[in-house]
Amino acid sequence: MKRYIIDIWAAATTILGGMGITLVHLFRAKNDNVTLQYPEERWPRPDRNIGFDHSNYNVIRSRLHVDMDDCIGCLKCERACPVDCIKIETEKVPNRGEDIKEIGHVGVTSNGSRKAMVVTRFDIDMTECCYCNLCTYPCPEECIFMTGGPNSDKHPIDYEFSEPNRNDLIYRFAKPGSREGMAKIISEQKAEV
Amino acid sequence: MGVVHGQEMVLNIGPQHPATHGVLRLQVKTDGEVVSEITPYLGYLHRCFEKHCENVTYEQVIPYTDRCDYLASMTNNFGYVVAVEALMDIKVNDRVEHIRVIMAELQRIASHLLGLGAFGLDVGAFTPFLHMLRDRERILDLFEMTCGARLLYNYMWVGGLSHDLPVGFVESTYNFLDYFEPKIDEFVNLLVHNKIFVERTADIGRMPQEVAVSYGVTGPNLRASGVKWDLRKNDPYSIYKSFEFDVPVGEGGKGSVGDCWDRFYVRVLEMKESIKILRQALASLPKEGDIHQSIPKKIRPPKGTIYKRTESPRGDLGYYIESDGTNIPYRLKMRSPAFTALSVIDEIAAGWLLSDVLAILGSLDIVLGEIDR
Amino acid sequence: MTVDFIFDLLNQFLPGFSGNGFLLLFAMLIPCLILFGFIAVYALVVIYAELKVSSFIQDKVGPMGQGFGFHAGKWGLLQPVADALKLLTKEDIIPGSANRVLFIMAPFMIFIGAFVSFVAIPFGESIIVADLNIGIFYILGVGSLAVIALILAGWSSNNKWSLYGAMRSAAQIVSYEIPAGISLITVIIITGSLNMQEIIAYQQGGIFNWILFDNPFIPVAFVIYFISALAETNRTPFDLPESESELVAGFVTEYSGMRYAFFFLSEYANMFVVSAVAATGFLGGWQSPISGYLDSPGWSVFWMMSKIAFLIFIMIWIRWTVPRLRVDQLMNVCWKVFLPIGLINIFGVAIWTVLLGS
Repeated sequence: MKRYIIDIWAAATTILGGMGITLVHLFRAKNDNVTLQYPEERWPRPDRNIGFDHSNYNVIRSRLHVDMDDCIGCLKCERACPVDCIKIETEKVPNRGEDIKEIGHVGVTSNGSRKAMVVTRFDIDMTECCYCNLCTYPCPEECIFMTGGPNSDKHPIDYEFSEPNRNDLIYRFAKPGSREGMAKIISEQKAEV
Repeated sequence: MGVVHGQEMVLNIGPQHPATHGVLRLQVKTDGEVVSEITPYLGYLHRCFEKHCENVTYEQVIPYTDRCDYLASMTNNFGYVVAVEALMDIKVNDRVEHIRVIMAELQRIASHLLGLGAFGLDVGAFTPFLHMLRDRERILDLFEMTCGARLLYNYMWVGGLSHDLPVGFVESTYNFLDYFEPKIDEFVNLLVHNKIFVERTADIGRMPQEVAVSYGVTGPNLRASGVKWDLRKNDPYSIYKSFEFDVPVGEGGKGSVGDCWDRFYVRVLEMKESIKILRQALASLPKEGDIHQSIPKKIRPPKGTIYKRTESPRGDLGYYIESDGTNIPYRLKMRSPAFTALSVIDEIAAGWLLSDVLAILGSLDIVLGEIDR
Repeated sequence: MTVDFIFDLLNQFLPGFSGNGFLLLFAMLIPCLILFGFIAVYALVVIYAELKVSSFIQDKVGPMGQGFGFHAGKWGLLQPVADALKLLTKEDIIPGSANRVLFIMAPFMIFIGAFVSFVAIPFGESIIVADLNIGIFYILGVGSLAVIALILAGWSSNNKWSLYGAMRSAAQIVSYEIPAGISLITVIIITGSLNMQEIIAYQQGGIFNWILFDNPFIPVAFVIYFISALAETNRTPFDLPESESELVAGFVTEYSGMRYAFFFLSEYANMFVVSAVAATGFLGGWQSPISGYLDSPGWSVFWMMSKIAFLIFIMIWIRWTVPRLRVDQLMNVCWKVFLPIGLINIFGVAIWTVLLGS
């Protein structure tokens, strides 16, 4: 009998106690609210220039971007990718470090290294990308990065890169026409020889 | 009291069911509401983790470990890198160790928050679940601040970390801890001592010590059965030796030792212990130290095997790695704590009512990503 | 607003049809249509309240929008309307192996059970559709119709989850009728009438004349009634029939669209009915809490509605606080706690009334 009354008493007090807690939350809804009204309000722009050197590195992980003018076609990122979502094809340039105007090839990177390769295909399949960031570290020219990276002014952080067509999520970074242009140049070379 | 037996009915709980914490199928034999036999069917989330690992290099395994226990990616990374470092005999500096412990303990809190909230949801309490998620979100913010990712971090590397702590991380973590500690008490008052919740969990699904040990159950589930076994104490890895903390065990506060309520409450207490460790680690965090100092140029472990286990939020997370001297693991086996926790369900849940089976399943805090791998 | 009154009115205005049977039917239909419209609007309001209250309790904001025409309107006011429209326009799916006739019948049956109870609810001295002399008994009686509908829904769906939900809800509702009835008997002992208006008339003269404060046993009866009412309407902590984490959706698992909306509507209508009975029996009905003040017919509707709204708010509040009971614990609470206490209560009230009653 004692147990019976204790049980009823415990049930009443604990449930009323819980209701008290929820009532406090109900009336403090304005202060405690954690919802962000998404399309109107955005996440605060991350203020975290951190990483290897504290001045200009940002760790945001959004979509990958490649600065083609800096890419030397070393394939290190392709090898680092654990899911093989990067596909690169290269052709040897006739003269190392020389611009090829027809296909928009820039001979010297912003770091000053002279390129020996023309990248004719640089596809990143963002549907396969697992956002592990492993490809960005080995890059000797720091030309592949997650947007919001070193050049975050150029590429605003973009969380919602949706596309109506699935194929549009395969990002093709190689300069358009470079494959045909290179083929032509190579065939001309052969003809000269 | 006589029991009326009726016709038995086979019921499939899952693979798509709100209470299976992923894609698990429980085939239960029921007689009315009473469940007589439970057979879990696995494999709906099998992604060939171990076979994948035999085809990618040692660095590339880390993103895959993230995806095993997706609620505790940091501790999964931790276990793997500790194993590879032991194989290669790498010593990392003090700052890296501290940051790793901080991340692992934050992850433990985050994982327990979700586990407890989901358990509350299983017994019908919706509000605590969202309160838990609200606080978990703050931890994820801390992780995002550190490495840019919220769920799958790829943060711990062999011999170091991918990023150093950002400016202001220590203060933000202190702020979070100050904010979070009173929230645990509120949560305890709202749900843990609630009479209905106690009725639903106390004395339900009792896991005796012998059963827990013989099935190889580890982690909070084992501790709730009264076994004081925590790898952070019993087989210290990293720098856990230098921190003071208790190992909470189940004491049968509301019913008997090893019931659902104990499994629940041990996790609550563990969050408090994690806060203790976090405060110590933050206080003793060395200011200097290059986090990339010991990262090897090429990860080619010498020929040999290693089995290293760490304490993940769900229990003993072991990695067995066999190296043949190349940069690709010859064989990688993961010992999943959630798998052993699930295997015991038939033993402890048979004979209870249908609602209890789901409460027991919730109290084991399984993650199907880790079970199926 | 009784049917007779409308019938008389129609007779006056349409003397050519005077005394016609169709006119009587018409006079009956008018209050039904008004009530149906009322239930629909009321359900939208309560769904909105439920969304908002639950969100505030959970530190969220609930449905939000930036003004009419965008999203869900200002503060998400149009969210329940959008929900209703979505349910109405959804494809009507009947499972292949379901029993078609019963499957179609169940949602209407359950709604009828909730709907006809409204007839006997008084909103003012003359604002009642049918002032039955067994009003409170009638409401309890037709309220039990829901059990048949729930079993029909669960059985005809040909789904194991639905069957479980139906069996649970049948056991639950049948059991909880008893404590609910027993606690209402105390009210009947005091007032000596089953008529809703007479029960309210007994409580005339301010808040201290309410039956709730009549004698020390009544608050207990009120609590028992209220909790039993939660169980009868399948609200948390007694939402076992549709417990979403165990039985997927219980007896409504196979329902969608319009039929699902009817189950939803009847749940909210039932909440209204049980709250109205509690307000009538214990809280003075449409009487103003201060005697002789603000008791015009308009105000009487206001008082009744605000009392009901308060009770519904408490139901929502409880729902978002507590976990769910187990099926055998549910029965324990009913038979081992509420029933004995309710019976003791009846004796207490009876003795009190004999010794001290007027």
